[in-house]
Amino acid sequence: MSQWLANVLERSSADAGTLSSLREASLAKLKDISWPTRRTEAWRYTSLHPVEKLSLKTNAEVSEQFDAPEVDDLNSIDIVMVNGSLQTSIADLKLPNGVSICALNELEAGAAAKLNSAKPSHHLFGLVNDVLANSGLFIEVDAGTVVEQPIRVVNYTLDGVEAHSRVFVQLGEGAKCSVIEHGTGSEQSLNTVFSEYVIGDKAELEHYRFALHGGQAIHVGGCHFKLHNESKLNSTVVGYGSELSRLDVDIIHAAEHAHAKMNAVYLLGYKEHFDLHTNIEHTMPNGTSEENARGIVGDKARATFNGRIHIHRDAQKTLAELNNRNLLLSRGGQINTKPELEIYADDVQCAHGATVAEISDEALYYMLSRGINKSKALVMLNFGFIQELVNQMPNKALANWLQPQLRARFEEMGRQ
Amino acid sequence: MLSIKNLHVSVEDKEILKGLNLEISEGEVHAIMGPNGAGKSTLGYLLSGREGYEATSGNVVFAERDLLDLEVDERAQAGLFLAFQYPVEIPGVSNMEFMKESVNAVREARGEEAYTAAEFLKLAKEACKHVNLPLDFLKRGVNEGFSGGEKKRNEIMQLILLQPKLAILDESDSGLDIDALKVVAEGVNSQRDGKRSFIVVTHYQRLLDFIEPDFVHILADGKIVKSGGPELAKEVEASGYAWLEKGEEATA
Repeated sequence: MSQWLANVLERSSADAGTLSSLREASLAKLKDISWPTRRTEAWRYTSLHPVEKLSLKTNAEVSEQFDAPEVDDLNSIDIVMVNGSLQTSIADLKLPNGVSICALNELEAGAAAKLNSAKPSHHLFGLVNDVLANSGLFIEVDAGTVVEQPIRVVNYTLDGVEAHSRVFVQLGEGAKCSVIEHGTGSEQSLNTVFSEYVIGDKAELEHYRFALHGGQAIHVGGCHFKLHNESKLNSTVVGYGSELSRLDVDIIHAAEHAHAKMNAVYLLGYKEHFDLHTNIEHTMPNGTSEENARGIVGDKARATFNGRIHIHRDAQKTLAELNNRNLLLSRGGQINTKPELEIYADDVQCAHGATVAEISDEALYYMLSRGINKSKALVMLNFGFIQELVNQMPNKALANWLQPQLRARFEEMGRQ
Repeated sequence: MLSIKNLHVSVEDKEILKGLNLEISEGEVHAIMGPNGAGKSTLGYLLSGREGYEATSGNVVFAERDLLDLEVDERAQAGLFLAFQYPVEIPGVSNMEFMKESVNAVREARGEEAYTAAEFLKLAKEACKHVNLPLDFLKRGVNEGFSGGEKKRNEIMQLILLQPKLAILDESDSGLDIDALKVVAEGVNSQRDGKRSFIVVTHYQRLLDFIEPDFVHILADGKIVKSGGPELAKEVEASGYAWLEKGEEATA
């Protein structure tokens, strides 16, 4: 056990009102856990060394006012959290009919009992989040409610702070909504954010997780989805990488005829690190999943992608596709990619692929032959590979906002 | 405009062009015909500067410059355009973005001002209509998911927008049905202004019914073996390329 984890156990108070039983259970698991080393498969390419002796402020006053980033035409319902504390007054939000939002520390017992229904218990930092998160959001969308405005949760983590927060979203039968999780911070800090989505029968969730950290920030988080009958998920993950950045995504097909689509994009430069672990559990028949992860790594950055698809014995007629493509811009960069398929049903269609490549000479020649110079052509080609997934984002306002930022970041990577 | 003298070209150490000579003046349309494997596509690739196509001897002067000395993009900026036989798909780069970058690169090299997005959009829409492609082709990835005919028309759209001094059409007729062929030919003809020159590379005479050449050259085994007027294409249509082999036997 690391010094930091010992400190976590000490800091956690089981006396946490309606969250007490969740904390007790997770605390017991944490006490039994062995601190991961590089021999631990799930952490093979991500050293937890930067966390081991970390000692940061856990109760930092925030004097400044932080606003959500301005995005033209997004028209979202914004909730801002700074250093793990809610800054937005939930009572003052104008919520559409059929949507309710409750702060984590004000949950009734019935709602609190739903936590961890989508998040598996094997995530070390998920357990840490269970025992330390004091704040977060519990969002419910009633059956049949179609929420036009996206709900955006923005997390700022400031210098010298350790912060933990939580998001739980439940969509009733036939409900539709869009949730954007936006995390940022680049100074020395540790931030965990775990979110869970329980998507009811015939409900549809559009989801975005932007892990736009950088510099010295340490971010460990997760998105966990549970899909019920004929429900749909469309998720986009964007990661920038930082001192240590790790995201675990679990998509659980808990009922039949559910469809999950996930696109992930990561752009890393300098000595940044980003580790994306995704896990799709097809436990029931007739489900489909489609996952595309694409990354560009430059300078001395390191990216890891681990994409697991687990098709259980009963999950006949499953259609699952997973594709990971990477582009390495420098000799000092590193990409570790691993698709993992476990299939126990015999009547399924499953495709996977992972590549680390350089630019196609033919495409480059074609562009040069049209008068475009080489450096410009390379930017267009490399970025095109990422842009393809950005173009698929259903929310065009968000895509229009994100694209120039990704392009600027990419152009900067080219100069490193 | 273009002067090729005793050009020898090798690909992977195999000599493909074996002493080719060709003179093209302003405003002329030259058709190059020949059997498969004669080196027709090699000529287009060599002129455009494709990697792997090496001129081992001879020289090429284009618009008073030593063409072989220029990089691929510089050749395009100097006014050379190659319409590809197999245009490349580039998903993620929109056709619009691609063509705008390309047109502005060429304009800037000519000392002209770059088009603004609005100015270019207007021109691109006109060109798109000209080649009979729906306007959403401007937004799609470059050639992404286009049919063979759509790709060829997309090449002609670029020709219209780029306004080159010399356009080389590499088998722009292959794989086209008659309607698509007419659209391609009409696009090319609309760009014949008495100054712009063309090299039309084709296996069949069919395209030349719609784009009438001033000169026809027969390329065989890396050399131009016969030159003449449009009537030469008709001869080829009637008798095929079999006479070439006979000719070789006769000289052997």
